[in-house]
Amino acid sequence: MLADCPVVDAGPLLRLEGLTKRYPGVTALDGLTVEVPRGRVGLVGANGAGKTTLFRLLLGLTQPTEGRVEVVGLDVGADPIGVRTRLGYMPEHDCLPLDQTAADVVATFGELSGLPARVARQRASDILDLVGLDEARFRPIGGFSTGMRQRTKLAQALVGDPELVLLDEPTAGLDPLGRDEMLALVERLGTFGISVLMATHLLDDVQQVCDHVLMIDAGRLVVAGATETLLERTGLVTVDVGASAARLAERLVAMDLEATVVDGLVEMTLRDDDELDLLRDVIAELGLPLHRLSTRLTSLDEVFLDRATGGVRS
Amino acid sequence: MRAVSSTSGGAVYDRGYRPYAGPRGARGAATWALYKATVRRALGLRRSWRQKFAPFVLLGIATIPAVINVGIGYVTRDQPVFDRVELITYREYVGVSSTLLLFVGLVAPDVICPDRRQRVLPLLFARPLTGADYVLAKVGAIASILFAFSYLPQVVLFLGNMLVSDSALSYFTGHLDVLWKVPLAVAVLAVFHAVIGVALASLTDRRIVAGAAIIGTFLVTSIAASSIVGGNEGGPGGSGEYAALINIIALPLYLRDVIFLGHVDRFGDLGGVEHGGWLALALYAAIVGSGLGVLLWRYRWVER
Repeated sequence: MLADCPVVDAGPLLRLEGLTKRYPGVTALDGLTVEVPRGRVGLVGANGAGKTTLFRLLLGLTQPTEGRVEVVGLDVGADPIGVRTRLGYMPEHDCLPLDQTAADVVATFGELSGLPARVARQRASDILDLVGLDEARFRPIGGFSTGMRQRTKLAQALVGDPELVLLDEPTAGLDPLGRDEMLALVERLGTFGISVLMATHLLDDVQQVCDHVLMIDAGRLVVAGATETLLERTGLVTVDVGASAARLAERLVAMDLEATVVDGLVEMTLRDDDELDLLRDVIAELGLPLHRLSTRLTSLDEVFLDRATGGVRS
Repeated sequence: MRAVSSTSGGAVYDRGYRPYAGPRGARGAATWALYKATVRRALGLRRSWRQKFAPFVLLGIATIPAVINVGIGYVTRDQPVFDRVELITYREYVGVSSTLLLFVGLVAPDVICPDRRQRVLPLLFARPLTGADYVLAKVGAIASILFAFSYLPQVVLFLGNMLVSDSALSYFTGHLDVLWKVPLAVAVLAVFHAVIGVALASLTDRRIVAGAAIIGTFLVTSIAASSIVGGNEGGPGGSGEYAALINIIALPLYLRDVIFLGHVDRFGDLGGVEHGGWLALALYAAIVGSGLGVLLWRYRWVER
């Protein structure tokens, strides 16, 4: 029953070729063709964009109408069971048996992932420690907070030592602190050699932890690429001079420069690099404290809105 | 492993993440893991004492006739063989095991309904597990427990009778047929109850509804069959006796009789029906097959 785990070449994380999924009366995915490298990948789209359908296709739980899916080098259509031994999955919705302890649940899912029983219990303990539930692991999940349940869901996805974890809205329902902690955990997964595909509609989450982005809208690919290449410079600089923002903006406008105050910060449109020198000189002349000066990038929200409405693909 | 903080008394370590490079099972291992988890849940293991109460009390109740029978055998051991009282035979004891129907009504919903209600199924089927594997693990777990709870009292009865007999070896050699008839009859009963219980429980995500459906199905068919057979004006062998087949509590017991006697009990409800044993076997196979069909349909996870 037990066999040594075969080594798969470190090819792309995902390879989708003309992937289409139609249900009666609706096309959930429409001809997706993309190759995604390993790492932390954000799957972005509005509700109904096709994220969940794509997850089901990646897990081999549904068959594509057309096209082909390859995950961590394995053809899902040919070997769905093999693919599932290499994946971890954290659904968005509540999915944990509430009357069992976190340790029991995670250990059982470890065994279900193919680990020997003793190894599964040991790994359950380690993983629950990793996600910050060491103290609570012998408590029934029914008494857990939303944040603790999300961590337990992440733990069960990781216990089988997957090559790729599919995270469906991992920060849903979390307070700001819980969200930051969950994103920090997701960010750490990359350092463990585990790739992440994180479905979310919160573009800030993706921008914070993902090094690649896959945007879909109404089942069609909007854009795919490295996060940093999508975040283009806007030509705006943001200047933080404390309480003197209005004074600085007033002087810049007087010098025929485009400057406004937004949320206590001065935003100035640069027409060329000389204007950056000019800005520096004005701040020095006024004797203002320069706390921060940064180039403003487009947000993923702007990229998504621009590409989705423009229909441009990279 | 790296120390992230230290004090004069010790250090706190961030154990980090350790990849697993050892052997890894596939479908068989996942099915076995689900089977074990289901058995644990059904018996209340690693759960509160309240969850352990029902199964083990039922096991105790199922064992009482065996203990009483052995006790009477011990008290009357000095009397001539023909004067000794035998409270219950091995064949009849298989019938007592059908009281475990109550166990099925309690446990089958408990191991099936929460998976759907608490939406655990997507997590399970994200593992190397198919719908058929899930059905095999769940039905197998319930059938195994039913088998154990029906068979263990029979073992108590056999060992007790052997020990209080004049010659243990003679008793053993004289009852060798029991060694295969009892497990076979008990297996027939266990599989039947497990398939029906799990299949009915799979149709709803509410435990109370499932439990009522299981108990109700058994009782309604039993009452209906009794009413029709009892009012049979055709006399023994009349067409009304075919109605005995719709009693699904008794159906596996007809097969038990075939196993022990070689034919259905001539004094039973099905006694006058020609080829009653074959008809019972065919109906048994049809019900078990239909139950498995329902289960495979309910857990056809692909293409949903």
